[in-house]
Amino acid sequence: MNQLSSGFTLFLSLLVEAIPFLLLGVLLSGLMLLFIDERKLIAHLPRNPLLAALAGSSIGFLFPVCECGNVPVARRLLMQGASAPVAIGFLLAAPTINPIVIWATWTAFRDQPEIVVLRVVFSLFIATLIGWVFSAQADLRPLLQPAVAAAIPQSQVPPSTPESSRLLQSGTFLLAQPGKPIRMDTTELQATLVASSTTSKPLSDRLQLLVANTIQEIRELGGVLVLGSLVAAVIQVAIPRELILSLGQGPVTSIIAMLTLGAVVSICSTVDAFFALSFAAAFTSGSLLAFLVFGPMIDLKGLALMLTIFRGRAVIYLFALAAQLTFLLTLFVNLQIS
Amino acid sequence: MIQSRQQFSSRILNWLDIVAITAWGVLLLSYWLTGKLGLLIHPRYFGLSVIAGFGLLVVGALGGRQLMRSHPVSVRHFTLFPPGWMSSLLLATACLGLLVTPQPFASHTALQRGINEPLALTRSQPQTFRANAQPEARSLIDWVRTLDVYPEPDAYAGQKVKVQGFVVHSPEMPDQYLTISRFAITCCAADAYPVGLPVKLQQSRRAYPPDTWLEVEGKMVTENLQNKRQLTIQAKSLKPISEPKNPYAY
Repeated sequence: MNQLSSGFTLFLSLLVEAIPFLLLGVLLSGLMLLFIDERKLIAHLPRNPLLAALAGSSIGFLFPVCECGNVPVARRLLMQGASAPVAIGFLLAAPTINPIVIWATWTAFRDQPEIVVLRVVFSLFIATLIGWVFSAQADLRPLLQPAVAAAIPQSQVPPSTPESSRLLQSGTFLLAQPGKPIRMDTTELQATLVASSTTSKPLSDRLQLLVANTIQEIRELGGVLVLGSLVAAVIQVAIPRELILSLGQGPVTSIIAMLTLGAVVSICSTVDAFFALSFAAAFTSGSLLAFLVFGPMIDLKGLALMLTIFRGRAVIYLFALAAQLTFLLTLFVNLQIS
Repeated sequence: MIQSRQQFSSRILNWLDIVAITAWGVLLLSYWLTGKLGLLIHPRYFGLSVIAGFGLLVVGALGGRQLMRSHPVSVRHFTLFPPGWMSSLLLATACLGLLVTPQPFASHTALQRGINEPLALTRSQPQTFRANAQPEARSLIDWVRTLDVYPEPDAYAGQKVKVQGFVVHSPEMPDQYLTISRFAITCCAADAYPVGLPVKLQQSRRAYPPDTWLEVEGKMVTENLQNKRQLTIQAKSLKPISEPKNPYAY
């Protein structure tokens, strides 16, 4: 009974602390989707692969989206002619490199500021590096799902003609073929349409879209947040402390445990810092970082979404590279810094 | 026929979203109005939760207005679960929160979270250090923080002490000792960690059952407990007090 009541308190406290950040993240990402013109942005990005990867990793600051929002945006970026380093850098870094996530992490780890700083640095580093690695593949199309590949403009120059938006529409539509029960396209389509014709849509329509978008995102992300908090609460009260400590105090085992948890618990990056916080007492700093860096890049939910852009092979590369880099960096933290 | 049934069920789902979001707004605001927010999160973040509560109500109202005017901007996202599951989950959680009052952590959790272990393991870094001219003005958490910075127990011998907290019966300690404890939080109850000091009694600790709130007055001594020298309160008086409205220490 005691267990149950403290588990319940923990569960509710995670939710009450996290929901404000979730709401803020959802509202801002909705605003950005409706009011930023991505094509102009792409046209201004650098061409050098390393710089492009870095730029792609950093533009998350303009799109405060969770890992569930960044996949559609990355896909749109690719289809609109962004280079591979930009798109991959964005895909991996955007969930972490944005103001709301950094604020939430600061809120949770106020007394361990190194976690906040290292989270940002490691995420940027890993995303840029992987983006750069993928630039070695001059033609990205063999790694992409056919429908996405078909939609990429041949010239790799940001299109601005009306044709391209028809191309986009058909590309988006193709993905919803039978056998692929993924229905994410309406929103994306709308966002694309809105983004590509910012001037033509009246403000009131855009606000209507914003409201509808906000409700859906809160429902989906909030639902996952509830499940994630439940997992955190159950682990905290049901697993014997000796087991958690023996796992959490080992420099290697703690990282592996947290990497696994990060991949399985698909909690939104805006609020994952609070989830990690509930493990702060028992786990090494490096392993908390591993969760905070790797979790937003790749998790079960993100995997399903990523497969809408990339073929399985490419997703495995991304997954393996990100996991290894996170492991090495955070192991370094465990052994050398803390 | 089929189409109208589909329309009907999608309308229900749309309303379910609105109800779930509104319920969360109501929950956050009711925690604020009934003063229960302090059981869950650090006072620093009360404002955020209150704003979010109002924000959710506004989103719910705007969404409801859209539906009333019967031109729902109906878009379905990529979803991991069948439609309706997530909103039902949110709604159920909000209702649970409204019906069941969360209880502050107690002695059981303090033991489970390792009150007997050195602070280094419970919390990686001490937060603030206040040098206090009058030792009896130190709260329990002030004592623990001071001790964390300068751990030699003999340095505090004979100092007067007056602290409040709840009773924990630690199984490793003899019957004549209890631990007076509090939970400290930096963000929310998820990171609550217990702090405590042993108290030496004149009699068996059974007179003070676990989770009783006490004000302990006495002076500091050094005792050999669990094979290490520990700063201990030699109790002169133990006065039962009622549980503070906000049980956590900051």
